[in-house]
This record gives sequence, C-alpha cells and structure tokens, in this order.
Amino acid sequence: MIGNDIVDLAQSRLESRWSRKGLIEKLFTPTEQQLIKNHNDSEIMVWLLWSMKEAAYKIYNRQTKIREFSPQKLICSLNSLNDTIAFGEVSCLQNKYYTKTVITTENIHTIAVNDFNDLNNTIEIDVKNKQIIKDQFGIPYLKISSSIFKDISISHHGRYEKVVTFQ
Amino acid sequence: MNRTELTEKLKEIIKPYAANTEAHENLTEETDFIKDLNINSANLVDIVLDIEEKFDVVIDNADMERMLDVKTAIEIIETKLAAK
Repeated sequence: MIGNDIVDLAQSRLESRWSRKGLIEKLFTPTEQQLIKNHNDSEIMVWLLWSMKEAAYKIYNRQTKIREFSPQKLICSLNSLNDTIAFGEVSCLQNKYYTKTVITTENIHTIAVNDFNDLNNTIEIDVKNKQIIKDQFGIPYLKISSSIFKDISISHHGRYEKVVTFQ
Repeated sequence: MNRTELTEKLKEIIKPYAANTEAHENLTEETDFIKDLNINSANLVDIVLDIEEKFDVVIDNADMERMLDVKTAIEIIETKLAAK
C-alpha cells in the first residue's frame, strides 16, 4: 500500500502557527518534540514529522478503514536526514510504515509504504486522462481496466498536487 | 449554555479554518470538518486548542481522536463542561 503527503511551506506559513502554545505538545510525542527542539530549523522538522504522520495515516486508513485524528498514535523515528532527504519509520499500533521525504525550500513531500524495498518502486503520475475512483470510505484507486485497480495516493496543499502509485 | 448556543460558539471557532465557506454557513451537527468544510488536517489541532481556550476545558488525546465532526465535538464539550 502507499500513502503520500505534501506540505506547501508558503501555505503552511499562511494557515498554521506551529509555534502556538500547546500545539507541539498535542501533535507530537515527547521524543518527537525533542527532535523539533534540537533541529537547527524547527519549522522544517515540524512539517517533516507531520508529513510522515499524514502519509503513514493514509495507509493506516486504507488498511483499517478507521478515521481518526490521532497524531500521537503515529510515532515517527528518523533513520537518516540531510538538508534535502530523510528516511524514517512510522509505527501505529502493531503496524509499521517506511517513509522517504524530499525537502526543498518550497515544500516537503513524504511517501510512505509498508515494505522498505517498495520505496524504490513508487512513481509520481499525472492524473490527466486517468480514471480515479473512490470507494465508500473515500479511498482512491487508479482504474487500469474494468477489473484491475491500483492503489493510489493523492495529496494537495497550496500550490501542489502529488499523485503517487507503484510502478 | 444550551446546545444551540454551544453550536453557535463552536461555529465561530471553526470559521477561520473552514475552506468551504458555504458549507460553514449551512453548518449542522452532521457537518464533517474535513469532508464537508475542507479543513486542513493540520488545523484540526487549532480547533482543539481554540475549544480548550474558549470553553476553559482540557481535551485529551482520546477525545481529540474522535473530533472530526460537529456532533462529536459538541458531545465532547458538553461532557467536559458538565464535569467542571
């Protein structure tokens, strides 16, 4: 399965005040709060961790059909991080997801998968001329033929829309 | 505070975050924050913090988890107010 999340940093600066009192404590576990505090650019770490949670939640929601706002149940850890790319893991109850995040000055984009090796197997597509259907839970699929449907994840924020699936 | 007053107060809190202003104008207890009002999920926490400030209550993680629509939000606020 696949999930993805894009944060438009210009948009998040308009609509979110991440430094608001109490906000970090509601969204992030104590360990994640330390990552934010200790990183040289706290804003980037906030949205990096947030996009990891959102991308992982999309798989969790696809698997379980459960809808909830439970950011602290999606527990992030980072395996590697530099200025432009981050690899990490998100666990949620007994489930574990692997993430790859691309960081630019304009946006932060995370793709999450169930199996680490699948991270090399994802592709961004253009939805033009493609047929996307949603099931009763609002979960999207890419229609390949009358009987073949592929998992697809759609994320839009501000100036961006990202659609990802497996190759 | 009765349920109508509470709903009105909640409606005011939600207003700045609701991308769909028409759906916000016609808000009912059945209105879903994300599906109907197109509220960005990152702003759900702002709604929770605003509720805590405006109603002087504490919303724990278990309550926050369920706060995806007007009806559930009202029920949680009512329970918190009754416990004060």
